[in-house]
Amino acid sequence: MNPARRRRAVHALITAWTLAVVVFIYLPGATLALASLTSTRYFGFPIVKWGLDWWRKTFNSIEIHQLLEVSVKIAFIVMVVSVAIAFFGALAFARYDWRGRSIYQKLVLLPIFFPQSVLGLALLLWFNTLGLDLSWKTAVFAHLIWVVPVATLVISIQVYSFDPTLEEAAFDLGATRWQVLREVTLPVLLPGIVSGCLFSFLLSWGNFPLSLFTTGADSTVPEYLYAKMVVGYTPGVPVLGTVSTIGAVVILLGGYGLILMLRRSRDRRGTL
Amino acid sequence: MTSASVILELRGIRKDFGALAAVDGIDLAIAEGEFFTIVGPSGSGKTTLLRMLAGMEQPSSGDILLRGRRINDLPANRRPTCMVFQSLALFPHRTVGENIEFSLKIRGVSKVERRQRAHGLMRLLRLPEELYGKNVTKCSGGERQRVALARALAYDPEILFFDEPLSAIDYKLRKTLEKELKDIHRETGKTFVYITHSLEEAMVMSDRIGVMRQGRLVQVGTPNEIYVTPNNKFVSEFIGDVNVFPVEVAGPGRLRSSAIAGEFTAPKLPSGFSKGHLVIRPEYLRFLADPSGAENSLKGRLYNEYALGSRFQYQVRVGDQVFVVEKLRQQAYGGRLDDDVVIGWDARDSILVTD
Repeated sequence: MNPARRRRAVHALITAWTLAVVVFIYLPGATLALASLTSTRYFGFPIVKWGLDWWRKTFNSIEIHQLLEVSVKIAFIVMVVSVAIAFFGALAFARYDWRGRSIYQKLVLLPIFFPQSVLGLALLLWFNTLGLDLSWKTAVFAHLIWVVPVATLVISIQVYSFDPTLEEAAFDLGATRWQVLREVTLPVLLPGIVSGCLFSFLLSWGNFPLSLFTTGADSTVPEYLYAKMVVGYTPGVPVLGTVSTIGAVVILLGGYGLILMLRRSRDRRGTL
Repeated sequence: MTSASVILELRGIRKDFGALAAVDGIDLAIAEGEFFTIVGPSGSGKTTLLRMLAGMEQPSSGDILLRGRRINDLPANRRPTCMVFQSLALFPHRTVGENIEFSLKIRGVSKVERRQRAHGLMRLLRLPEELYGKNVTKCSGGERQRVALARALAYDPEILFFDEPLSAIDYKLRKTLEKELKDIHRETGKTFVYITHSLEEAMVMSDRIGVMRQGRLVQVGTPNEIYVTPNNKFVSEFIGDVNVFPVEVAGPGRLRSSAIAGEFTAPKLPSGFSKGHLVIRPEYLRFLADPSGAENSLKGRLYNEYALGSRFQYQVRVGDQVFVVEKLRQQAYGGRLDDDVVIGWDARDSILVTD
């Protein structure tokens, strides 16, 4: 085989392999969407009778509305609280040099590697001991334990590329500590903060094991999906699954768009 | 220097990091409107010293006085001084204009006035007007230097500090900016305190230079004094290629060296001098066709030659000792490598220093 043909063949092989991997990863999601488009009661493939009946039923269900409300509520609060904590945590993680920092860096990331079901169970026992009623509020707390470390790590990546002399320069030019934070630190780290928000919201949104143990009588979308898979499957399950996935994708793209916009507004001023 | 003209005074400034004294007792008075440069190798404590002057570090002991007022405890944001950083620390999320106007915005100066001031400073620093709305990350190296300087000048500081801002810049641009900075110093009449590891850079710009070593000032003087009469071996070698060898007094007006055979005529001996180093600048060494009339001469071998643009430099080996000779291009030595040569110098062109 001559070198040019050989190169083409190798290139084709790499393309095919990449496509195969992409299909393998994303096809199940597409299957889920397909499964929701049936009018029959049970799941079957190929689809015998197409229809949007289950979408209509799902959207009209008060139970589903409540589920979405609980999930959004938890994810939103988790996002706000975890990013607030993680922002300062990330400064301690990556910006400042202090005694005990290296231990802190390890300790703060450890919860990511806890088996979540074990963590959920431990928290359940702990809440019981404290006599707390389980509800979406306790779930917020549980999610935070797992999400804050992730958000800290995500924001830290941005903080590592932050030049601390920027803060010194602003301070030297007469700014107060608060003005330095508002005028320099926050805006420069904004892309990292947006990423932190995305991670926090979506990790909480999709979390099942922690919610399972800690929501009590309330239920989140992933919990409901699981329960319905075990008992009482209807094509409403893939409908809700699809909605949940699409919601996550929309938020992700929105966040990505926001970061792009921030960057572009910076660049646009550059061409003036 | 009369005390009335002193703007910044340092009294016994020390900074200890654990057992290490980064700055080990510095006394210095800087005059109003002076361009003062602190030179030293890395680790000499010059950056720590500057950070204390700017209010970013606190001295372990000693006092810093601004126009006679003690400012040790005054934080950087309340000192009427401003620093140009080594990294320049331009705000990457801001335009050139916003960077320059930063301190004015903090002070609540109106938008119109801020803009006016920024444009005035941009003209002063020969920054093209169209850069005003451009992001700083899109500026060239030279433009960024000027923006950093404009931002510091907008603060209208009484003293400007410079932490080696030119160190990361290529040679040609650095040479241009050095001169520009000196021009800006003239034009603004402000006090500049500059630190660098390059004595050459310091020479070009400064009114006075302080050479720092291991946390102490080893010599303070005008560029000419530092060049012509270095008071120790460290300072003399810091200037660049120079011939230094150990000597001791061999008799009245005579010197002997352990490194080279023979005796030499001494320049004027510092009082109490018995042992030290003899320093001869490469431009003061001559190739001698006839050594008989020379005050000092040495036989050696021409080992190599280097073209330095306007000058030629020659490496001459006398035994194990290496000598550097420099000649203007027009007066280049015409011989060949490995020639036996005789080099010589006048006693008055040599300098005796202690260690």
